[in-house]
Amino acid sequence: MSKYTDELEYGFTSALAPPVRETRIGVCSAYCGTCAELNRDLKTGCAQLQNRKFAQSGGCQLGLAMGIASSLTRSAVVIHSPLGCCSGFGGSAGLRKTMRASKGKKDEEFIWAHTNMDQLDVVNGGTEKLKEAILYIDKYSRPEVIIVANGCVPGIIGDDIDSVAKELQGSVSARIVPIHCEGFKSRYVASGYDAAYHGILRHLVEPAERIERALPDEGKDAFERYRISRTVNIFNVGSNSNGDEVELSRLVSALGLYAKVLPLHATVEDLSHIGEAGLNVSICATHDDYLLGHLKERFGTPYIIDTLPIGVVNTNRWLRVIAAEFHLEKEAERLIKLETTALEEAIEPYKKVLAGKTIYVGGGETRILTTAQYFSYLGMKLLGVKAHNVDRFVEEFLEETDGPELSIEVAAGQPAEELAILNRLKPDLYCGHMGANGWVTRLGIPVIPLFGQSLNYMGYSGAFELARKAAKAIKNTNFAKNISSNVSLPLRQSWFESDIRDNIKPDDLL
Amino acid sequence: MSTFIERAKFSCALGGAISTVAGIHRAIPIVHAAGGCAGMLSGSYNLAAGYRGLGYCGGNMIPTSNIAENNIVFGGEDRLSEQIEHTLKALDGDLYVVLTGCQVEIIGDDAVAVAGKFKSQNVIGVSTPGFLGNALKGYDAVLSAVARGTVQEAPVKDPLTVNILGVVPGHDVFYRGNLEEIKRLLGLIGVKSNVYFAAGETVEDIKKSGNAALNLVLSPVSGVLTAAAYKDVHGIPWLRSELPIGPTGTRAFLLQVGEALGISKALVEKVLRAEESYYYSYLERIVDIYSDLDFQRYAIVAADSYYAHALTRFLANDLGWIPHLTSINDIEGEFEREEYRASFSDINSETKPIVVFEQNAGEILNRIRESWPLNRSQKYYDSLSPAYVVGSGIERDLADKLGAAFLAVAYPVSNRVVLNKGYAGYRGSLTFLEDLFTNLVAAR
Repeated sequence: MSKYTDELEYGFTSALAPPVRETRIGVCSAYCGTCAELNRDLKTGCAQLQNRKFAQSGGCQLGLAMGIASSLTRSAVVIHSPLGCCSGFGGSAGLRKTMRASKGKKDEEFIWAHTNMDQLDVVNGGTEKLKEAILYIDKYSRPEVIIVANGCVPGIIGDDIDSVAKELQGSVSARIVPIHCEGFKSRYVASGYDAAYHGILRHLVEPAERIERALPDEGKDAFERYRISRTVNIFNVGSNSNGDEVELSRLVSALGLYAKVLPLHATVEDLSHIGEAGLNVSICATHDDYLLGHLKERFGTPYIIDTLPIGVVNTNRWLRVIAAEFHLEKEAERLIKLETTALEEAIEPYKKVLAGKTIYVGGGETRILTTAQYFSYLGMKLLGVKAHNVDRFVEEFLEETDGPELSIEVAAGQPAEELAILNRLKPDLYCGHMGANGWVTRLGIPVIPLFGQSLNYMGYSGAFELARKAAKAIKNTNFAKNISSNVSLPLRQSWFESDIRDNIKPDDLL
Repeated sequence: MSTFIERAKFSCALGGAISTVAGIHRAIPIVHAAGGCAGMLSGSYNLAAGYRGLGYCGGNMIPTSNIAENNIVFGGEDRLSEQIEHTLKALDGDLYVVLTGCQVEIIGDDAVAVAGKFKSQNVIGVSTPGFLGNALKGYDAVLSAVARGTVQEAPVKDPLTVNILGVVPGHDVFYRGNLEEIKRLLGLIGVKSNVYFAAGETVEDIKKSGNAALNLVLSPVSGVLTAAAYKDVHGIPWLRSELPIGPTGTRAFLLQVGEALGISKALVEKVLRAEESYYYSYLERIVDIYSDLDFQRYAIVAADSYYAHALTRFLANDLGWIPHLTSINDIEGEFEREEYRASFSDINSETKPIVVFEQNAGEILNRIRESWPLNRSQKYYDSLSPAYVVGSGIERDLADKLGAAFLAVAYPVSNRVVLNKGYAGYRGSLTFLEDLFTNLVAAR
């Protein structure tokens, strides 16, 4: 299991909707200070009760929930909302092709529908249109799964999507999976992952029916039990690439274990075998503690939520905890030695280029802290980090950090504060989440993305790629220079000069 | 009453409003809604409008009241007021537009009234909840509010100034290129135009747009409400026109504007002749390859009403392609549909297009199948080929299924990058032809 989840309880799947993370885990989503200060204020609970005066847009849990659910093979989506929620599908639908192609999966057209709620529906309810949409999608594209996601409007007016799903389930060939992910319900957008997994756990994770052998064969049965006991489910996330999955599977297999990658892009059939594993392993606590906790309850599968395998130190650590579960410590050490020796030699030229260069990292909490640690490992000087949120899963990282005086900002989105910090720190390089990098470029700082769906970041091969990418970015920094000289930011000079800590205030909820 | 839509080619009213504000130079939206709406909707246009980007203050830079469950219970007006106050301190803009999301409208917050308290600081408020309808509704909500609240009174009109309405930033992926060509063409006949969203136009220009003699609405759906607001407040008459694409469309457009403003027909004709001569001097370049390789295609057009007829007419009347089927996705009323269908009477090719109205993207394939004899594995089959689909990015799969070539023009467009190009006018239609034919020779 995980020391981070020892105090957490699961067992929410009898409810229609999961609790939001604010209540389930507790979270700090607004903070500005040093690592040591944040650590102190997290312990007293003050950090979790802050908000801001000047707020900017962040994410929406609906988007994150759909990132997970809509990836399922042969799935279609009905968004119960006006046309705006998930309108990003219009631009991202084509990505399904490239994502699936990168994994060697069959090409699929991505089909979705909106119930297109209007003013009348706000008054009268929109469940009739939802029924029509589900029936249409079922007939039109015959998917295996129809995801039904509800936005804020049905959430506020009280449309009951579960009753609709129940009513229609007998009349359609697809399995209907209602997902409750109204944006206004949680500022901790990772609640959307719980929402998606809640729906998947309730409606899709049904163990495959076991067919008894016509002729008993104890040998084969024993082998199957052995195979299952040595199977490691690696839980993928929307921000990892196929390259990451191949690398992590390779490492797990090198320990003599069977690696399986789930649940994104999985088929219903794959999900029905999700319980057949000796160990479930997370690569990002922010994504899947809810799923792993519930799978433990349902199938008894032990799980590991520890670190994100980015960079040498954390990949080593990730492998060691997995190996320890199977008493493969010696094998792990041999593998680690072999891998790190080859890698060290390969990254030597990049270390020379990057030595002493300063860097700032922004994005999801575990991802940034592990990535930042690797940049330090490469000899770069870490100036600060920005985390979307901070919760129990990174407390240890914060305690362990070598720089208690390191600048840390906690904000989902909110580029204004981060840009003011960056304007003071002026790092040589910035590594950040999608949506942030463009603003930092406008500030004149060269950037590399924190993740990419077609780029390898994880494991030893990912460590090589990340070093290579950082070194490449500083081979020519003219793009950021030219942009910052010619394209203006909307922030006033007085904002850059102000103490942005003043923007943080106690939450109104108090 | 609206119905569900399979693969809608729109975001919501708030999305259209955000995209419209993003089109105005140094304008800043302030979104009163849950924290994700602004960033997500702005993100839709970043990726689906030919990588238009977030703009001056888009994406997660957009100030947002970021309301949560407690505001749904207790109301969010105080929070909005605090947000506006701090936005004015932090962000530097020429116009601040408060926009509302579904959540706060359902609970009854009066955001427009809250915005009104900051009127002296260039803040206006507009009600734009997603359930108002599609992105075009958001465009009109914002521009009508601007017409009523920001545009200054101008008792004396300039007889040769017009405002161009109906071109929705982002939803028209090529809006800037299109508007710049329209501005250039109007300039040739001595007409000054306010186009709101092109390079060099500022909030100051918008404030002075009340002195126009005429408003031209280039879309059957968007811009009409804004034109009505201008008529109501500033007494400016309006005329329905069309996005001009290519010689036929542009000729009709300039003649219409010239007549409405009393410009000498001789001057307009002189301009038209010069422009047509320019157009054909470039079109001539592809005459040989077009003729040698037979570049004539069956044209299938799937677009909103802003593009559908304009593109079809160019392909049929100017390029000589066979207009097979045109599908329009944004007109719902029966009367409006018949009116739009009638506009196709100016298609002068021997073959006339089948005109259908279909909101569900997947149904277009069914309409095409119904329109053409099925292949029953007979020895000789007259197939719908070679065909070319000109649609939105969503039609890529349709083109694959038909074995047709494909170009994405209508929103969403995510398979190519659009910077300053446009398809309007003479120059734009040459760009359109470059893109169409490049796809036919790209494999060489």
